[in-house]
Amino acid sequence: MLKVKDSCTGCGKCEKTCPFGAIKVENKKAAVQDNCNLCGGCVQVCPFDSLELERKVEKKDFTNYTGLWVYTEVKADGTVRNATLELLSKGNELAKELGQDLCAVLLGSNVGELAGVLASYGAKRIYLVDEPELKEYNTDAYSTIIIGLITKHKPNIVIIPATPLGRDLAPRIASTLEVGLTADCTGLSIMDGLLLQTRPAFGGNIMADILSPNTRPQMATVRPNVMKMAEPVEGARCEVVREKVSVEPGLLRVKVVERTRTSMPGEKNIDEADMIVSGGRGACDEGDLKLIEELAKVMGAAVGCSRAVVDLGIKPKSHQVGQSGKTVSPKLYLVAGVSGAIQHLVGMKSSDVIIAINKDPDASIFQVAKYGIIGDLYEILPKLTEAIKRERGL
Amino acid sequence: MHIVVCVKQVPDTTEVKVNPETGTLIREGVPSIINPFDQFAIEEGLRLRDKVGGEVTVISMGPPQAKAVILLGLALGADRGILLTDRAFAGADTLSTAYTLSKAIQKLGKVDLVLCGMQAVDGDTAQVGPGLASTLKIPQIAYAETLEVKEGKVRARRTMEDYIEVVETRLPALCTMTTPSNFVPTDPPFSKITKAKKKPYAEWTAEAIGADPGRLGLKGSPTWVKKVYSAQTKEKAIIIKGSADETVAKLVEILKKEHFL
Amino acid sequence: MEEWFFTEEQQMYRESLRKHLAKLITAKVVEHMEETREIPKETIKGMADFELSCPLVSEEYGGAGIDLVTAGIIGEEIGRADPTGSTAVYFLVPAAWSRMIFLYGTKKAKEELLPQMTKGTIWCGIATTEADTGSDLGSMKTTISPTEGGYLVKGAKTYISGVREASTMGGGHVTLARQTLDKGVRGCTLFYLPLKDTPGIKIFQDREMGREGISTGGFHIDNVKIPKHYMIGEENKGFYIVHEGYEAARGIIACVCSGAALKALENAIAYVKERKAFGQPLARYQGIQFPLAEHWSRMMMVRDWAYKALRIMQQEKEKKATRFETSQAIAMAKLWAPLWAFDAINFAMQVQGAYGYSLECTEQKSLRAIRSFGWAEGTSEVMRLIVARELLGKDHKGY
Repeated sequence: MLKVKDSCTGCGKCEKTCPFGAIKVENKKAAVQDNCNLCGGCVQVCPFDSLELERKVEKKDFTNYTGLWVYTEVKADGTVRNATLELLSKGNELAKELGQDLCAVLLGSNVGELAGVLASYGAKRIYLVDEPELKEYNTDAYSTIIIGLITKHKPNIVIIPATPLGRDLAPRIASTLEVGLTADCTGLSIMDGLLLQTRPAFGGNIMADILSPNTRPQMATVRPNVMKMAEPVEGARCEVVREKVSVEPGLLRVKVVERTRTSMPGEKNIDEADMIVSGGRGACDEGDLKLIEELAKVMGAAVGCSRAVVDLGIKPKSHQVGQSGKTVSPKLYLVAGVSGAIQHLVGMKSSDVIIAINKDPDASIFQVAKYGIIGDLYEILPKLTEAIKRERGL
Repeated sequence: MHIVVCVKQVPDTTEVKVNPETGTLIREGVPSIINPFDQFAIEEGLRLRDKVGGEVTVISMGPPQAKAVILLGLALGADRGILLTDRAFAGADTLSTAYTLSKAIQKLGKVDLVLCGMQAVDGDTAQVGPGLASTLKIPQIAYAETLEVKEGKVRARRTMEDYIEVVETRLPALCTMTTPSNFVPTDPPFSKITKAKKKPYAEWTAEAIGADPGRLGLKGSPTWVKKVYSAQTKEKAIIIKGSADETVAKLVEILKKEHFL
Repeated sequence: MEEWFFTEEQQMYRESLRKHLAKLITAKVVEHMEETREIPKETIKGMADFELSCPLVSEEYGGAGIDLVTAGIIGEEIGRADPTGSTAVYFLVPAAWSRMIFLYGTKKAKEELLPQMTKGTIWCGIATTEADTGSDLGSMKTTISPTEGGYLVKGAKTYISGVREASTMGGGHVTLARQTLDKGVRGCTLFYLPLKDTPGIKIFQDREMGREGISTGGFHIDNVKIPKHYMIGEENKGFYIVHEGYEAARGIIACVCSGAALKALENAIAYVKERKAFGQPLARYQGIQFPLAEHWSRMMMVRDWAYKALRIMQQEKEKKATRFETSQAIAMAKLWAPLWAFDAINFAMQVQGAYGYSLECTEQKSLRAIRSFGWAEGTSEVMRLIVARELLGKDHKGY
C-alpha cells in the first residue's frame, strides 16, 4: 500500500505525475484514492520523500498470478518489431504448456490497429494504453504505467525483447517491483511450473539456467533473432482491455531535445535480414568495405561489420555485429576479414550457416563456421561477386 | 557537483576458458580488470568535474581484491574511493546489487550525478544501472555516449535502434555509459599512482550502510542460478583451400546446396 | 601472487605501464626502428608524456622522483615490450646518468639541464670508452685541463650510445677524462659535455648488430671548452663517483634482460604448445621441457636478484647498506642477467627452428639486442672481478 508521511506539504507534484489519477491533494495533504495500483510514479518524484510504498509480496502463494505477457515494441515506422513477434511465438508454446493466457502489452499513440498482428501471433488479450503523449518511448511513462498494469492484473510471467529499449525498460520495472529479472535470454522453457531462463555469460563462454521461484511476475528479456517466429494465423481475434491514463508532464522527467532517424527506409536492417555479408578490419585495406557491399548487393543480403570497421569510421554502428553491437542469427552469415574475437562471435555464432573467409588457418572464426575458406578475400570476393552475377543472370 | 561512478572488477572475459569436462569456468590465471565500460564512465565523470567543478567518488561492491579498481579510479583522478565489501554481499544478483549500491550512495549525502558503465562484461545484463536509478528514485538515461551538464540538467547523446537522439533531464540523475568507438583507456603514470594512495579511501560493510540483511547476497536475490554449463561446441568447419578460382567455384556450389542461390 | 619486493603502488604501476607500452611500442614501431634505425618521434614523445624521461631525478627538476626499484620495473617492462632493445637503451642511459648530474652536478648545471632532460627534450648519455680503452679506464687518453673560465677537453670517445640523439635533438654526455696524468684513475674528472652545436665536436656513427633505433658511435673532441659549472663532483675525483652511474645502469640492464628473456620464453611456450612433430605438440617432449625449466628458473631468479640489488643500492642512500654490498649485488645481477638471457632467448629461437632465424622472428631481434649487455656499462669480466674483490678483499684484487 501507499503511505503518505507527515512530512507531506501538499505541493501536488504527485497529483501532477500520477497517470491513473489515483492521488489527489485534499486539505493540503496528499490523499491516496481507491484506484491506486502501486505503480510508484509519485514515489519517484516526491521532493520531500513523503511517499512510501509497501509491497506485500505474498511469498510462495502465487496461484492468483496468471498469464504470460509479452511487451510490444513498436518501430519508428509504426509496425511491430520482429522481436516481439518472436516472443509471442515462443510465449504461445509456453502459455499452452502452463494452461494460461498469452497476452500482449501495447503502449503508444494510435496503435490500436496493431492488435490484429499481435492476435495473429497468438495473443489472446491485449492490454492497451493509447494516449497521444505515449507516441515516443519514455522510460518513466512506460515503466510507471506498465508497473501499474502488472500490479493490477498480476501476470505470472512478463517477457520483453532485449533491444536497447527493452533493456532500458525491464530493469526499471523489475527493480520497482523487486522481482527477479534475467537478461538477454537465448532459451525459455517450463520446469516444474516455473519459467526456466537460459542465457549466456562471460562474453558467451558459458550458459546459465536461471529461475525466479519466489517473486512474481517472473521477468526476462529475450535476445532478438533467437526465437523462431511462428506462421501467423490470419484473421485471429483477441480481447482488448484498454486502460485509460492521463500522462501528466510531471511524469516525463527525461525530455528528447532532438532526434535523427538513422535507419533509412529501404536499407536492409541487419537484424531482420535472412542473409548477411559481413566484413572486418581485414577487408578494409582500401579504407572502405566496397568488396563486401558489392557481394551483399548481388546476393540481396544486408551488410554487417565488426567493431573495428565502425571504429575506423567506415560504417555506422547500426551495422555492427557483436557484444557491443547487435546479435544476429540469419540463415546465412558470410564473413570475410574477421579473425573471430569472442566479442564478435557472441553476436553471430547462432546463425544457421556461417561461411568464413580468412587468410589465417588458425583464425578463431573457423571455430564457429560451417564452411571455412582459407584464402585471400581480395581475390575471392570480387570473383565470387562476378560468379553470382552470372548465376543470377544480373 | 558531486559525481558518483559505480565500477566493477571483472575477470578478463577475453582470457576466460571453459573446462570441457565439467563445463565450468577456469578462472585461475585469468587476470582481473576494471570493467571496460566502467573505465569510460570514470573518465567521462572526471571530464565533467574538470569542466563544471566538483568531486568524483568511485564506488564498487566486491571482494577485498576489488580495491584495485578503486585505486585505479583514484589514480585516474577521482577524489574519493569506497569499496563495499562484506561476506553478506556474496551471491547478490542485479536487484540486490542495485539495492546495496543505493544504500551506500544514500550514505554519501548529496549526489548530483551517478554514472555506471552500460553493462559488466561478465554478467552482460545491463540491469544494475537502471535498477539503481529506480531504487534511488532518480531518472535514468541509458546508453549515453557523451554528457554535458548545464544549469542543473544533464544532456546526453545516444544511439538507439532506429535513431540517434539527444535527451535531457534534471539532476540528480543516473546515466549508463557506452564507450565511443575512439575511446582509448588512460593508463595512469607513476605520479598519479602515488597520489592515489594518499586520497581518502574507505571500506564499508553491510552494517556501515545500514542495509537490510534480507535484501543482501543470496537471500536478497530473487533470481537463482540453477545450472552453469559450457556453450555447445559446433562441429568442425569444412575447410576449403586452393586457388581463388577453385575456391570461388566451390563456394558457388555450397551456396546452391544450402539454397541461398 | 603479490611480489614481495613491490609496494602496492609499484604493482599498480607495473600493470599500467605494461598496458601503456603495448600501445606505444607496436609491431609497426618496431618495423620503423629496424628500417629507419630511429625511434619514431611519437614514441619518444609518448614515453616522455608517460613520465619515462630521466625519472630518477626529483620533482623539483620535473622528474617523476621514482626510486631505483621502480626504475628497474620500467626496465623490465620495456625489455618485454621492445625486442630491438632500442627504447630500453633510450630510457636507461639518460635515467642512470642524469641522476649523476642530479646528485653531483652544480646547481647552475642542474637548473639548466635537468628540466629539459626530464621533459625529454634533450638527451643525456655516458662517454667513458675510447678506441683503446674499455675496462682499463685509468689508461684513457682524453684529457681535461682548467683554463680561463672553464676547462679544455681534448681527445675522442667511441662506442658511445646516443651520439646522434644528443647532437641533433640536443643534450650531451657525462664524460670521464684525465686531469692529472700520472695519477691514473685517481686523476680522472667527471663532467658534462654538450654535443649539439659545440665547436670542436665531430661525431661519427657505427652500424651495430642490434638496438637499431638508438645510435652508437663516437666523437672527436678537438680543444672543446666547457664552462666551469659543467663539472660533476670535484676535479680529479670523477672515478670515485662514476661507479654510481654505472651501477644504476647495470641494475636496470639486469631487469631489461630479465624482461626480454621471460617474454621470449613465454613466446616459446605458446609456440611449443601449438607446433606438432611426430604426432604430438613439441611441449610434450622432455627435450623441450628440461631446458625450458632451466632457463625459466634462472631468469626468474636473476630477475628477483636484480630488484634486490637495486633495492640495496637504494638503501645505501639511506645508510642501510654499505658501498660494498651494493657494488657486489649489482655486479652479480649484471654478470648473469645478460649471459642467461642470451641463452634463454637463443633457446626460444631454437625451438622455433628455421623461423627463429628469419628477420621476422621477435626472438632473433631480442638476441641481437641483449648481446650488447655483455659489454655495455661494464663487461661480464669486470663484474666477476668486482664480485671476487668483495669476497676476497682488496689485497687480492685481480687487476
